[in-house]
Amino acid sequence: MNLAEGVQFVSFIILAVLVIGAALGVVLFDKIVYSAFLLGGVFISIAGIYLLQNADFVAAAQILVYVGAINVLILFAIMLVNKKENYAPIPRRWIRKGSAAAVSIGLFVLLSIMLTRTHWSVDLSVASPALPIETIGEHLFSDYLLPFELASVLLLMALIGAVVLARREEIEGETTAIVGELPAPALELPERPREPVA
Amino acid sequence: MLKFLNKVGDYAKESVQAAKYIGQGLSVTFDHMRRRPITVQYPYEKLIPSERFRGRIHFEFDKCISCEVCVRVCPINLPVVDWEFNKELKKKQLKHYSIDFGVCIFCANCVEYCPTNCLSVTEEYELATFDRHELNFDNVAMGRLPYKVTDDPMVTPIREFGYLPAGVMDGHELAANQQRAGLRPAAIAEQKKLAESASAPEGGE
Amino acid sequence: MNPGIDLQQRFIETLTDFGLSDGISKLIWMPVPMLLMIFGATVGVLVSVWLERKISAAAQQRIGPEFIGPLGILAPVADGMKLVFKEDVVPANSDPWLFTLGPALVVIPVFLSYLIVPFGENLLVSNVGLGIFLWIAFSSIVPIGLLMSGYSSNNKYALLGGLRAAAQSISYEIPLALAVLAIVMMSNSLSTVEIVEKQAGYGILGWNVWRQPFGFILFWISALAECERIPFDLPEAEEELVAGYQTEYSGMKFALFYLGSYVNLVLSALLVAVLYFGGWELPIPIETLADLLHIPQDNAILQVVDASLGITMTLLKAYFFLFLAILLRWTVPRVRIDQLLDLGWKFLLPVGLANLLITAGLKLTLPFAFGG
Repeated sequence: MNLAEGVQFVSFIILAVLVIGAALGVVLFDKIVYSAFLLGGVFISIAGIYLLQNADFVAAAQILVYVGAINVLILFAIMLVNKKENYAPIPRRWIRKGSAAAVSIGLFVLLSIMLTRTHWSVDLSVASPALPIETIGEHLFSDYLLPFELASVLLLMALIGAVVLARREEIEGETTAIVGELPAPALELPERPREPVA
Repeated sequence: MLKFLNKVGDYAKESVQAAKYIGQGLSVTFDHMRRRPITVQYPYEKLIPSERFRGRIHFEFDKCISCEVCVRVCPINLPVVDWEFNKELKKKQLKHYSIDFGVCIFCANCVEYCPTNCLSVTEEYELATFDRHELNFDNVAMGRLPYKVTDDPMVTPIREFGYLPAGVMDGHELAANQQRAGLRPAAIAEQKKLAESASAPEGGE
Repeated sequence: MNPGIDLQQRFIETLTDFGLSDGISKLIWMPVPMLLMIFGATVGVLVSVWLERKISAAAQQRIGPEFIGPLGILAPVADGMKLVFKEDVVPANSDPWLFTLGPALVVIPVFLSYLIVPFGENLLVSNVGLGIFLWIAFSSIVPIGLLMSGYSSNNKYALLGGLRAAAQSISYEIPLALAVLAIVMMSNSLSTVEIVEKQAGYGILGWNVWRQPFGFILFWISALAECERIPFDLPEAEEELVAGYQTEYSGMKFALFYLGSYVNLVLSALLVAVLYFGGWELPIPIETLADLLHIPQDNAILQVVDASLGITMTLLKAYFFLFLAILLRWTVPRVRIDQLLDLGWKFLLPVGLANLLITAGLKLTLPFAFGG
């Protein structure tokens, strides 16, 4: 084993341990903030594994999208929802736990079977492209044009949906309470009752 | 469509205007960078206090007649006058006199009203101490004369803005003999006297 | 184009000449540029802190640091020493783990981004194909660190500051990426080295700023917002939030935030120089100068002069933009949070999209000028 291979092997071990440990942490921690931060750790470690496989664009995209956007969004949601709820045991919680465990174990078995049945021998005759990013781009706009466009339409729908949800229509003229009268309910903008979109 | 284009045009115009204003602001800040610092490097340079500066109060023990006018005119009755009636001399004899400069507001009313001129204001303003009780000056401490800024070899004295020659904005690097703008009080007094003597014969009694 | 100096090759050759094996010499080479980069970035921060203090003083007609070293040049070092020796306070009821991890997460990606800053054709840590995209990816990790430190401080101001910082960081990353994308489209490459090389050959006239004036303004505004410099320093607005997410930090952890913000600023300035102002290129191409002086291209002295001039030019350009940022600090008042988001989403984003569209159109119609 020469130097480069040794470095790769050690890095792989470290990254694998990080991924599995962080993923376990996500599931097992009681505090949801820890889970969210560890999720970021999982994403970053996976990006490291991509990097180890010479897929540097995918690694960077992984960091940009999953860590920079999705994880931050999750954290935002956790930190902005300022709701304290006392932990109350749900009746028949074992049903949920059991079903979740069954699904997880089923998935694990399925993946294990897939792992053992796949031929992992890499065809070395196909050289990796000299310009991976350009190759990705060409594939995106030729072979995978339909999924690409579908994804963009989906994102556009999500965007418009978010705008519709977040928009408040304020009623003009009803905003201020007259001095001496009962004050308007604090910190709430008067809003037109939302009617379902026809 | 036209409305939209108009809106875009207005927006662009506003942006250009905002950029222009930021540019103007930047040029002002940039211009300030060329100017000489106006700061006085305090322990090494000191401003010469002005003629009517009201600093720490000086007290002459022997002149005091213990009349307590200073106490009465003081906004907070601050001076402490400790005297005893001397029966032999039939006179009030001063034992101690003190002012707490931690409380004094340096209005110098006491100086104004003192009948024997035993109180006077000095140009001393460096009254920092480690304990506020150290600011309670007794008659000995108040009898000390302050050190003049112009006499201190460690300090470069700098004239204040009002004492600079006409057109000069900065007290640094100013020759000592350059006179300040306008006439000195003595010169004004002389002029006044001249004018009075000139007008006296005509309007005389 | 002359190839310039290949330091790595020379270094390894020298070591193998001493009798070391090839693998070991490569192993010795590996940490050298990284350490050099960290050292360089830190020195750059010290210089920029000193400049900040001196220029701020000049803009306010003060003198600034004067007695610590000649012209007060050691003042930032003294600041750093003070922070190193200060007590490291962890507030009560805070989360010590997240509290410690936060500053590290803020600083590390910024330092890592220095990997891609080129000072010459071969004078950068790693010429990865990702180039500028790596920087954008790394800078998207920073908000997590900010949220983490804001959350773990157990302080409402810190939490608000952290949330604000993350929101600002995310919303200004988009126009930033759009501005970079236009440049990348023109250069046909993400690599910073190639982006500079595409600007070479015509001296000052070939620089991207002439072809991307709006992109440059966009990039500079968003970079300032990303660095939380003054018109956009809402996350640490003193009057409202004490010091934002840094409120509870002291000692070395605070120093890390401080270091991170200045490293980020210097990095942004360097990237402006690289993306829009021709990186290490001189205003007059050095080849032309060499031809005028009848010096052959492969002259060793010329190569050394070229490399050092390249580093000097990059730094000069970067520090010019640093100067501009400092001057802006004393000129422009802080924007409100709604104005900040308005500017980001309603001005920079549409302008960035339009800029990208126009660049694409120009690339198709004028391929000779826009790198078709």
